[in-house]
Amino acid sequence: MLEKVVKKREFILLVSLVSLIVIVGLRSPRFLSIGNFRDIMDDTALLAMVAIGQFMVILIAGIDLSVGAGVALTGMSVALLHQYYPGIPIFVIVLLSILIGFLLGSFNGILVSLLRIPPIIVTLATMGIYRGFVALISGGRWVSAHEMSDAFRNLPRGGFLGVSNLLLVAILCVIIFGIFLKYTRTGREIYAVGGNEIASRYVGINLKKIKYLPFMIAGSIYGLAGLLWVARYASAQSDTAMGFELVVIAACVVGGVSIFGGSGTTLGVVLGVLFLGIINNALTQVKVSPFWQMALQGLIILVAVIVNTVMEKRTQKLVTKRRNL
Amino acid sequence: MVTNKLLKAGRDITSKSEPILELRGICKYFGGVHALEDVGLELYPDEILALVGDNGAGKSTLIKIIAGVYQPDKGEVLMEGKEIEIRSPRASMDLRIETVYQELALVDKLDVVENIFLGRPLTKFRWFVNRKRMVAETVDILKRLKISIPSLKEPVQNLSGGQRQALAVGRAIAWSGRIVILDEPTAALGVEETRKTLALIKQIKEQGASVIVISHNLRHIFEVSDRIIVLRGGRRVGSRIKSKTNIDEIVKLITGSL
Repeated sequence: MLEKVVKKREFILLVSLVSLIVIVGLRSPRFLSIGNFRDIMDDTALLAMVAIGQFMVILIAGIDLSVGAGVALTGMSVALLHQYYPGIPIFVIVLLSILIGFLLGSFNGILVSLLRIPPIIVTLATMGIYRGFVALISGGRWVSAHEMSDAFRNLPRGGFLGVSNLLLVAILCVIIFGIFLKYTRTGREIYAVGGNEIASRYVGINLKKIKYLPFMIAGSIYGLAGLLWVARYASAQSDTAMGFELVVIAACVVGGVSIFGGSGTTLGVVLGVLFLGIINNALTQVKVSPFWQMALQGLIILVAVIVNTVMEKRTQKLVTKRRNL
Repeated sequence: MVTNKLLKAGRDITSKSEPILELRGICKYFGGVHALEDVGLELYPDEILALVGDNGAGKSTLIKIIAGVYQPDKGEVLMEGKEIEIRSPRASMDLRIETVYQELALVDKLDVVENIFLGRPLTKFRWFVNRKRMVAETVDILKRLKISIPSLKEPVQNLSGGQRQALAVGRAIAWSGRIVILDEPTAALGVEETRKTLALIKQIKEQGASVIVISHNLRHIFEVSDRIIVLRGGRRVGSRIKSKTNIDEIVKLITGSL
């Protein structure tokens, strides 16, 4: 019975997703074209990658506000590097982007796990620091399309069978980390620590490791996402991915991830990502002004949170009812 | 066999039987607060030892030292006569000491199977959890302990208080601890659930483990324990064989009116 309620959350999301596609498709047929479908997929691919990392952080009852700034800093770093040293092979650039992200994420993780500073404070600070560094290393200027080689710009576009590299990487991230969270010992420990930190400590789970790991992984992923981002939009700027962290957190919340930690599924996150990605695209298609788009996005997040809360309350009620039996 | 006879005769503190666990002169300070001052404790094989005292007497601190959650500031810990250090909860578990905490050491959002194997899952290919085997073992364990839980795949937050307690105690037994420590195992339980839990505690002893149990409920203590140690204000104020004392005397020791 309870299991059904949990399943229902994903079901509701799926139904809203399909009806959204149908309604927008009726108003603007171009929305349903294959070309637009690809655009949506590529747009949401970046969101999906970063959201998987954020999901892990939220699972341990944390939050990573530095993802937007992290994407921008890695993106700008590799773009500048590529501009000044065009000789560096692309695969080295790819590895470097992951490494930079790894370092940024590790910094967050170490502050959270070793110094036990609340994640919201740590990442609020590093969000500012990382964003500041973007302007600092670039001197406030842009790296634009003509300063990037074709190989660099085509990195996210290439692919096979009409599936872009960008989408492939996102799918790979979702699968790998989905399996990691559900089936590995460390993945389950992430759920355990998020669900009950004291109990986890008492059974000897390594809290330092489990509280560091999600930030490190989230960082490594957003590092790679940063490279793909500047390559896809063919520009690196000081305000790249500004506010992206909020969309990412929203995707997780819409996907049913509990902000208090310990619960949520990879499938839910993927649906949440698709929902936000499709809404963004749809609103543009039916020519809703950007200001209304922001308001609507806020509204969706609010509705999602209300649905989550109501569902949790309903579960709680069922539980109390059973306990009294 | 000699030990067994001693047990049946009602062991007294000066008996020659060697304690499985012994704490000597334990002190623990939290800032200026003396939580424990020169406290000793000895636990014999096959014994249910009750630890009683008022709130703040130091019971929980003492068991957390045995469980490796706290390190003593002074004193020594001996296991089977050998001096040891219990540096972490994991170290305590490795010595086959299992602790069931008052604040129910279960993860509400995880299911029964994952809670039984919390912190030490069965694995395959080194990194992956072996869910299938864990489910099979859980079924076995629950059957052996006669704990009935409707669904193993349900988050434990959906279980009743008694079922959760049984699960927590069952987990300790399942890991076949030599020493099982129970912190307030009957708190917040109904009549029937309390009865089951007390039966479960006796079952631990039958399985050949020693038990340390903390409880405020002296009736429960007198029902299950063999010996009672009383703490007051961080000091040990008495140790009594159950059959040679009564509730009145224990109450007086707890309140200091003796």
